Amino acid sequence: MDNKNNSSGERKLECGDVSKCFQLLESILDGEDKDASKEVLKEKLSKCQPCFEHYHLEQAIREVLKNKCTKQDVPSELAACIRQKIEDIK
Amino acid sequence: MSEVQKKKYSDKEKNSIFDNEFMPHIDSMYNFAFRLTFDEDDAKDLVQDTYLKAYRFINSFEQGTNAKAWLFRILKNSFINEYRKKSKQPAKVDYQEVETYYNSESVDYSITSDLRVDAVKDMLGDEISNALNSLAVDFRTVIILCDLEGFTYEEMAKILDIPIGTVRSRLHRARNLLKEKLHSYAKDMGYDTEEE
Repeated sequence: MDNKNNSSGERKLECGDVSKCFQLLESILDGEDKDASKEVLKEKLSKCQPCFEHYHLEQAIREVLKNKCTKQDVPSELAACIRQKIEDIK
Repeated sequence: MSEVQKKKYSDKEKNSIFDNEFMPHIDSMYNFAFRLTFDEDDAKDLVQDTYLKAYRFINSFEQGTNAKAWLFRILKNSFINEYRKKSKQPAKVDYQEVETYYNSESVDYSITSDLRVDAVKDMLGDEISNALNSLAVDFRTVIILCDLEGFTYEEMAKILDIPIGTVRSRLHRARNLLKEKLHSYAKDMGYDTEEE
């Protein structure tokens, strides 16, 4: 978090419109706001501490979910089982 | 035609669609089913039922559209309509109940979390997984669809039969609940979660 501490002095500590900003940031993270350019995002995050923190926390949560919750082992016989049942109803 | 569905595909085409467009999603389908049911056998049954239905109704699948979203919608409906009734566990939160209570599209974005990024990054798979599993099924579902499976809001709206605005607000609420959970784990791990 050094990065945050070093640069937070340049950011405003209160966000002018949390609802609008956070909703936009979440849309960007979810890949919904493709028009928002990287420059716009970068500028926003460099100027507003609450936005900066919200963005990075939300991003971290999405990453751990994606990396740590999708590794469920599929039972090896499941695919064959499904194919057999399909053959039976054909 | 008076039949339930028009015969659109030949047997050969059906097999090709099934093998090339449906079966590749079996891992994601099983993961989704397991996170809905928390039981390996139930998850297997649910995935199997879904694939059988998908084959039976294959003529209502439009080639070129998103097969994964189509399959997920069938799985979600099977879970609600059939599996949940059979399950002896009482549903903690009913989908309908949530429709009534949690569907307001106005969301309070001012709730901030003291949870820290480094605490999140240090979480073990089990902690993340348990936090996700602790959420009521509707909240769990939107996070699975969005963050684990990468569906768009529009695809999620179709899978869940809810408006996009509801997808957005439900996701936001789900993530807030998840953050609360992770925050309590972070405290247990000894992270200082106060800002300053």
